[in-house]
Amino acid sequence: MSHVPAIELRALTCGYKDRTILDSIDITVERGGFYAIMGANGCGKTTLLRCIAGLLPPRKGEVLIDGKRISDYSPRHLAQQLSLVRQHQQTDLDFTAEEIVMMGRNPYQSRLANESEEDRSIVEDSMRLTNTLHLRKEHPWSISGGELQRVMIARSLAQQTPIMLLDEPISNLDISHQFEIMDMLVDFNRSQGKTILIVVHDINLAYRYCPQLILLHNKQVLYQGPTAEGFTEERIEDVFGVKAHKGEEGITLRRK
Amino acid sequence: MTRRFYILMAVLFLLLVLAAVGSALVGVAAIQPSELLHSQIFLQLRLPRILLSILAGAGLSVCGAAYQSVFRNPLTDPYVLGISSGASLGASLAILFGLQAYLWGVGLAALVAALGTVLLVYRIASIGNRLHTTTLLLTGVCLTFLITAVISFIMVLRQDKMDSIIFWTMGSFASASWFDVAVVAPVVVIGMVAVAFHSKDLNLLLTGSETARSLGVDVERVKKVLLFFTTLIVAFVVSSCGVIGFVGLVVPHCVRLVLGADNRRIIPASILLGALFVLLCDTMARTVLQPSELPVGSLTALVGAPLFIYLLYKNKKQY
Repeated sequence: MSHVPAIELRALTCGYKDRTILDSIDITVERGGFYAIMGANGCGKTTLLRCIAGLLPPRKGEVLIDGKRISDYSPRHLAQQLSLVRQHQQTDLDFTAEEIVMMGRNPYQSRLANESEEDRSIVEDSMRLTNTLHLRKEHPWSISGGELQRVMIARSLAQQTPIMLLDEPISNLDISHQFEIMDMLVDFNRSQGKTILIVVHDINLAYRYCPQLILLHNKQVLYQGPTAEGFTEERIEDVFGVKAHKGEEGITLRRK
Repeated sequence: MTRRFYILMAVLFLLLVLAAVGSALVGVAAIQPSELLHSQIFLQLRLPRILLSILAGAGLSVCGAAYQSVFRNPLTDPYVLGISSGASLGASLAILFGLQAYLWGVGLAALVAALGTVLLVYRIASIGNRLHTTTLLLTGVCLTFLITAVISFIMVLRQDKMDSIIFWTMGSFASASWFDVAVVAPVVVIGMVAVAFHSKDLNLLLTGSETARSLGVDVERVKKVLLFFTTLIVAFVVSSCGVIGFVGLVVPHCVRLVLGADNRRIIPASILLGALFVLLCDTMARTVLQPSELPVGSLTALVGAPLFIYLLYKNKKQY
C-alpha cells in the first residue's frame, strides 16, 4: 500500500489582501504525529491552521488531507476529517457546555433527526475525558477560561476526527492547567492515534510534549522534524530573538 | 426541558385556536357561535383577516428569529435589510399614481420595490461569492434611512395623499381578503418550513461562521438559502398588510427567555407565539374603539413592549 500522509501542503502560498503570510511552503504531517507549530507573533501560525482547516483558500499550491485536495471535500466531510479548537472562544453563547459539545456531532447528524443514543454517549465520553462532565449544564460565561478551553477540546473530541488542530489552546492558562491539557492531548495521540497539530508559544512545553516541530520564520518553514534536534540555540535566537541555553532540565532563555 | 417545550407548544396552539374562535365572534357585528359558519361577515371578512394576521405574525417572527442568529445580533428584525422601507416606497408611489383602484395594485408595487431594495442591498454587500453580514446590515440600515427620506419628500410634496401613505405604512389587516391569503399563505408556509429545516444550522451559525464551517456547515450556502426564504416571507407579508413592527424583533426573544438558545425550539415556538400575538393585537385593533380601527402596527408595540420589558425584568432577577 502506498503511504499517504495525514496532511500535505505543496508549495502553499496564502495571505490576506496584498499581504503574503506564507510563501510557497511545503509541509508533510504524518499520521499519528504530534506536532508543535511555533514561530514569533505574526509569522502565520494561525493562518497555517486556517488553511489546513479549509477556512482560508490558498492563493497558490495545494492542501491535501488524507491524499485528497481540500477543495474536493464538502464542509461536512471535511469536518469528519479534522477538527479545530480556536484561539479565542466566544463567551456570550447561551448554549450549555453539553449543547456545545453536542455540536461536534453535527457532521454526522442529519438535519431533522434528534441526537442519537450514540451521539449522547460520545458526548459524555468526550466530556469525561476532558474532565468537564460536571460542567455540562453550565454556560460559557459562567465557567473559567481553562474550563471553557476544555469544553472546546471536548467538542473537538466529539467530532471524532483523525486530525485535531489546536490554535494556542493553552496560552491563557496557568501552568498546571497547561500541563493538564498537554497530558490530555498526549493521551489522545497515543491511545486514539490522533494526529495533533498544536500552536504553542512556550518552547519548553513544546520541547517536553511534542515529538515533532514545525518552525515558521519569514513566511517560510525554517525547520520541520524532531523537536529535540529542531531547537538549536542558533535557531531559537534567529526566530525568537533571545539567547537560549540547552541544559539537562530544558531550555533556559534570556534576553539578548 | 423537552417536556417544557412540548407543553408550551400545546398551550400556545390551544390559545391560538381559542383566540381565532374568539376573534371570529367579536366585532362591530357580533356573531352567535351557532351562526358562525353561515355568516357572510365571518366567511368573507373575518376569516381571511384572521388567517392573514396569523400568517403575518408567524412569518415575521420566524424571520426575526432567523436573522438574529444569522447576523448574531439581538437587535435585528425582519425589516433590517430594507424590506419595509422598500415596500413603503413602492406603496407610496402606487398610491401617488392611484393604483389602489386595482386588485393588489399597491401590494404588487410594494412587493416589487421590497424585493428590488433587498437585491440592491445584497448586491452592495456581497464580496465575490460571499455575503459579509456586517456590511449587509449596515447597507440595509443605510438604505432604509435613504428611502424613508424619499417617502417623507413624497408626502410633503403631495399632502393630499399623506393620510393614505401613513395609514399604509402603519400596517393594517382591515382590507384583508381571500386573495391576500391565497397569495401570502404559500410563500409564508414554504418559507417557514425551509427556515425550520435549517434550525440546527442556525444554532451553529451563532458560534461564528468559521466555527460553524469547521463543524461541517456549508455556511455560505446556508446563509443564502435562509436569506432567500426570509426575504420572500417578509416581502409578501409587508406587501399585503403594511409595516407591522416589533413582532419580529421581540417574539423570538420572548421565546428565548423561556426556552433557551436552541433554534430547534425557538423557530416552532416563535411561529405559534407570533401568530397568536398578531392575531390578538389585530382583534384589539378592530374592537377596542369600534367602529373605528386602531393601527395594528403600533398596537403591537403598545401591547408588546411592556410585556417584553416585564419578561426581561423578571428574568434579570434570576442571575
